[in-house]
Amino acid sequence: MKKLRVTVEGKAYEVLVELLDDTGPAPSAAPALVAGPSSLAPVSAPSAASAAPKLAAANGAAEIPSPLTGKVVSIDVKVGQTLAEGAQVATVEAMKMNTYIYAPRAGTVAAVLVNPGDGVEEGAPLLRIA
Amino acid sequence: MAIAPELLRKLAEKRQTARLGGGAEKLAERKKKGLMSARERLAALFQPGTFMEFGQHAQHDCHHFGLQDKAMPCDGVITGVGYIDGRPVAAFAQDFTVGGGAVGRIHAQKICDLMEYARQSGIPVIGINDSGGARIQEGDDSLSGYGQVFFHNVLLSGVVPQISVIAGPCAGGAAYSPALTDFIIMTKKNSQMFICGPDVIKAATGATVTMDEIGSAAAHATVSGNIHFVAEDEAGALALSQRLLSFLPSNNVMDPPHRPVPNLTLDRDPAMNDLVPADPKAPLDVYQVINHLVDGGDFLDVQRDWARNIVVGFARIQGLVVGVVANQPMVKAGTLDIDSSDKGARFIRFCNCFNIPLVTLVDIPGFMPGLAQERGGIIRHGAKMLFAYAAATVPKITVIMRKSYGGAYLAMCSKDMGADLVYAWPCAEIAVMGAEGAVNVLFKREIAAAEDPKKKAAELAADYREKFASPYEAAGKGMITDVIEPAETRSIVALGLRNTLSKRETRPPKKHGNIPL
Repeated sequence: MKKLRVTVEGKAYEVLVELLDDTGPAPSAAPALVAGPSSLAPVSAPSAASAAPKLAAANGAAEIPSPLTGKVVSIDVKVGQTLAEGAQVATVEAMKMNTYIYAPRAGTVAAVLVNPGDGVEEGAPLLRIA
Repeated sequence: MAIAPELLRKLAEKRQTARLGGGAEKLAERKKKGLMSARERLAALFQPGTFMEFGQHAQHDCHHFGLQDKAMPCDGVITGVGYIDGRPVAAFAQDFTVGGGAVGRIHAQKICDLMEYARQSGIPVIGINDSGGARIQEGDDSLSGYGQVFFHNVLLSGVVPQISVIAGPCAGGAAYSPALTDFIIMTKKNSQMFICGPDVIKAATGATVTMDEIGSAAAHATVSGNIHFVAEDEAGALALSQRLLSFLPSNNVMDPPHRPVPNLTLDRDPAMNDLVPADPKAPLDVYQVINHLVDGGDFLDVQRDWARNIVVGFARIQGLVVGVVANQPMVKAGTLDIDSSDKGARFIRFCNCFNIPLVTLVDIPGFMPGLAQERGGIIRHGAKMLFAYAAATVPKITVIMRKSYGGAYLAMCSKDMGADLVYAWPCAEIAVMGAEGAVNVLFKREIAAAEDPKKKAAELAADYREKFASPYEAAGKGMITDVIEPAETRSIVALGLRNTLSKRETRPPKKHGNIPL
């Protein structure tokens, strides 16, 4: 609230002015609708310390598990190979469909733990990356 | 002859006090942390100048533990109605600067009054949650307040869309109000939602857990499936609520905001043919199909990061709002499992509540096999998909792209589940089970007696596949409306949507069905 004196044609008026935006800068307008999925923030699963300690360390060695029970079709990388995050590392066949396995983060292939033709359970480690 | 200036001055003063919430100091502190105030949030949500506040002069009536001497402007929550895209929407924003945004009797009553107004006017409700929890001084009055909010959440469910924004703490029982609403948007940082926090878990069970594991937006978006969207920040969460509302009707007797194009374009989209891998074992990324199917590739992906073997979300096809339900063969071979069934079924039921036509894209080898699935109750969870589709009376259009096997064929809205139109691509495989499995049952003895059982089995499987791994067997029996080229999908679905939009289906009256939960 502000008290102001306004003079109109030589006559002074005292007026009270209410500052509606006093609680901070009023956002001038509602933000425009965001087109496309850009308004969705990217997230990745926080690993539960008890359930999945393997991927908890961001930089240490990590095992890449099979996301489902199936048969290993191919290992698509070699030991020592440098990986970018999201690189395809293996192919597992299950339910008449190939499932591609991708590197959860960048690193190098430290070990290959299964062979093509092997049956793997859900969660079984396929490769270790360092 | 004018109103006494003193009265106007007093009103202006009262307004000013209310607008300052917990006081200029606390607001400044908040600003320093980069957080918006409750009023700034509402201002960002609504078109400028359209917000009508309800109950600005509300005061608590607690006389215990020193609270009798303490003013709580607006009782810690700002409620009212404003406009978004020219449509009225009710909203409340909890004010963390007033007693930590804690919920007292009047606070809860304000929220309930707003919801009652929204129910009777048929307008959506957005709740911006930022509260430390119950106002302990008020004891069971506070508890009762929560109960009344929950009751109203349920009363409004299926009548008007309800959206919850979590932009601060939302802990304990308070988390159940958002849980009862249709969509939950969480900000990436500065928000937590949990029933029992790390301290309580430690005391009760001895286990050490972190807030990130149990209460963060990331945990809820990827593991628990409790929330539907993660926004970068508060402004993003509010923008997302606006975008979500752009697909939804204001209430259950209105149509969603269709923007039908004056001239339907029926062009072929040859790129759709190119999307289909020749090898039936190579997965098709369903996002690419959706991208071609919907207007401008504009798709609001609901629960994007949870149960990714099913994709659900809102879009428009030649202007008409649709809910898309699609198997994602890139993840877990596109199977239905416990989580993906829950995700799909809830979305289907939301669309049915609010008259949003369903477009189902099928590429599914079956339900997920496994010990954990069977013991976890895949029968009960998978049944939700069947129940939701069969119970839905909105227009239902199904496109069988590739695999469609067994019970999962039914659970993805086959004609038997009441699909109005079912299209199949020429590469569709519709069968009761896979060829190898089928011949092992049908020709068990022949295979065992054969000189080379493996060879015999392979031959028989090839025969079986030839017969059933195509859409024509099913189409011959009237289960398929038509077999179409992938390139024709968008124009045919658009046409189909136009002529099923006037669909009215009446079912026998009942309180409600008993969906397996």
